[in-house]
Amino acid sequence: MTSKVTINRLATGVPGLDEILGGGLPEFSFNLIAGQPGCGKTTLAHQIMFALARPERPAIYFTVLGEPPLKMLRYQQQFDFFDTEAINKSIRFINLSDDAKAGDLDRVLKRIVDEVTQHSPALVFVDSFRSVVLASETDGNPHNSLQQFVQQLGVLMTSWQATTFLIGEYFTETDANPVFTVSDGLIWLRQSVQRNSMVRKLEIMKMRGQPTLPGLHTFRIGTAGVEVFPPASLVTSSQAGPAVVLLAKRLAMGVPGLDDMLGGGLPRGYSLLVAGPSGSGKSVLAAAFLAEGARAGEPGVIAAFEQNPNRSRSRIVADLIADGKVGLVATRTDLSIDEVVYMLMREIRRLGATRVVIDSLSGFELALAPTFREDFRESLSNLVTALAGAGVTVLMTSELEDRYTDLRFSPYGTAFMTDAIIVQRYIEVDSRLRRVMAVVKVRASSHSDQLREYGIDADGIHIGEMLAHQEGLLGGRPTRKATPEPASTGASGVQD
Amino acid sequence: MQAQESDGLAAFLTRTVADGASSRQIAEAVGSALQGIDQALAPIIGKSGVAALYKRTVHLAGRTHSFLALSQDGVPTAMDATALTAALEQQTAADAAAAGALLLRTFHELLTTLVGPLLAERLLRSVWATFSSGPSAQDSKT
Repeated sequence: MTSKVTINRLATGVPGLDEILGGGLPEFSFNLIAGQPGCGKTTLAHQIMFALARPERPAIYFTVLGEPPLKMLRYQQQFDFFDTEAINKSIRFINLSDDAKAGDLDRVLKRIVDEVTQHSPALVFVDSFRSVVLASETDGNPHNSLQQFVQQLGVLMTSWQATTFLIGEYFTETDANPVFTVSDGLIWLRQSVQRNSMVRKLEIMKMRGQPTLPGLHTFRIGTAGVEVFPPASLVTSSQAGPAVVLLAKRLAMGVPGLDDMLGGGLPRGYSLLVAGPSGSGKSVLAAAFLAEGARAGEPGVIAAFEQNPNRSRSRIVADLIADGKVGLVATRTDLSIDEVVYMLMREIRRLGATRVVIDSLSGFELALAPTFREDFRESLSNLVTALAGAGVTVLMTSELEDRYTDLRFSPYGTAFMTDAIIVQRYIEVDSRLRRVMAVVKVRASSHSDQLREYGIDADGIHIGEMLAHQEGLLGGRPTRKATPEPASTGASGVQD
Repeated sequence: MQAQESDGLAAFLTRTVADGASSRQIAEAVGSALQGIDQALAPIIGKSGVAALYKRTVHLAGRTHSFLALSQDGVPTAMDATALTAALEQQTAADAAAAGALLLRTFHELLTTLVGPLLAERLLRSVWATFSSGPSAQDSKT
C-alpha cells in the first residue's frame, strides 16, 4: 500500500502536447498560458477545454477584458474542436468585464468565487488574466494585491478541485511576476520571426511534479486547432518498433541490375543517398523503389519537397498515392525538423510503411524555416537518426552539381550519416551526354565497384554495362583506352 | 432557416393580437423577450455587449418601422428597452406586433451573422422556448 497521493493526468486533446508535458496535465493544477498577442493562447485554452469538458466535468471560461467574447466565439467556432452543443451544458462562458473595469481585484475574485461555488466546475479558465492585472495596476503598486489575489485564487481553485488556467499576454518571461511563482504550470507560447518566416514555438517552462521535455517545441495552428511537434527522437522511440537492421533482409530496388550492384539489394533499415545532377534520374529511381515496395506488399511514404510537386511527381508515384499504397507528406513552408518527422511518422503508422523517400534534400532545406536552415546538417542527421530508429528504410535524393574535378556525394556533407550511397554522373562520349551510376558505399556489406552506364525511358531506369573501353569517366570527358579490358564482376570488400 | 425560433415568437405576437391583446400587452411581451435575451447573453458577452447588439438591432429595424428609430446617443453600457416599449405602446396592436416581431427577428439574425446559426440558436433557445410553449395559433382556432 502506498501512502503517496496519486496525481491524475488529464489528456489535453492537443496532439503532441501530452508528450511534452510528461504525460498530460496534472489534475487540480494551477496553470498559466502566456505569450504575446496572436500566439495562440486562447485557441490552446479552448482546445483543452473542449477536449476535457463533460457534463460530469464541467468547465467555466471567464472572459475579462480584451478580446470581446462575441468575437472569441465567432472565431473559435471555426476550429474543428468547437462543439456548439457543449455551450451552456458542459461549458459555460461568463463575462467579468463589468467587474474588472473598476480595477477592483477583490470584486473580480468574489465574482469568480461565486460562480465557481455555484457551478462547481472541474475546469476553470480566466482569459485574459493579464487584463485583470492591468486593471489593478491603475491603483499604484500592483504586486501586493495581485500576489494576494493570485494566491487566494490558486488556493481556492485547488481546494475546489478545479484544474485552472490563467491566460495572459506577457511579453517577457523574466518578469518577477507573482503569478509565475504561484502557478504549478507555465506554458509559454512564442512566435519566432526570421526574415519573412514565422515559426510558432511552445515551451513548458514549469510543470510541478513531472518530467517535462525541456526546450522549444514547434507547433502549428490549423483547422483542427493546435498541433505540437514533440522532438523527433521521442516520436520515433515511443511509437515505432525496435530499430533492428537485419543485413540478411534486403529490399529490392525495382531497377534491374541495381540490386546486384548493392550486393543483393538494400539492407532493411538502411538510409540510402542517391546523389546526382539535375535530370540524372534520382526521382525515377526513388519512384522505382516505392513501386517495387508496393509490389512486394511493403507500403511507402514519400516526402515531396519539390517546388512544384504536381508537375515533378511521376505518374508512377501519383498512381501509388492514389491507390493508397504510398502516403504523401506534402510540402509546407516554414517547417521544422520535428514537424517533418511527426508528419512522416503519422503516415508511416497509418500505412504500416517500411519504405520512405525524401525527394529531395535541396527542396527539404528550402521548406525548412530559415531559423532551422542554419542547422540543416544537424537537422538532417536528426531526421535520419529518427527514421532509422523507426526501423524504416530511407531513400533520399540529393541534387549534385557536376564539377568533374572531384567526386562529391552531397552538398550537405551528409555522406557520413547515410548507410549507402549511389552516385549518378553525366559524361560526354562521342558528342553525346550519357549517364553513369556507381554504388559508392553500402555499410558493412560488399557491393559493386563498377561505374555502369544507364538509360531512362518510359519504363524507368535500365542499367547497362561498364564503359570498359573508356577511362577518365569521373572527369566528365573520358578518353578511349588503347586496349579495352574485359568487364569484371566487380565486387569490392566489405566497408565499415 | 436562420431565425426560425424568433418566428415562433412572431407567431405568438400575431396570435396575441388575434386574441384581442392591446398594444401595451404586445409591448410588455416584447420587453419580456428582450429581458430574457439580456439574461441569456449578458453573462456570456457582458451587459455592454448585449447593449451594443440591441443598439444595432434598433437601428436596423428602424429602417422598416420609423417609430423604432429611437435616439440612442453615446456608448451603451446596458440594454434599456424602456423607450422601445413606450414607442410600441403608442402604435396599434397590429403595428406593435409586426414591429416587435421584426425587432426580435433582427436581433436573432444579427447574432447569427456574428456567431453562426447553431450557436445563436443555442444561446437564445431558452428565450424562444418561453414563447413557444403555449398552444399554437392553429390549435387555438380549432
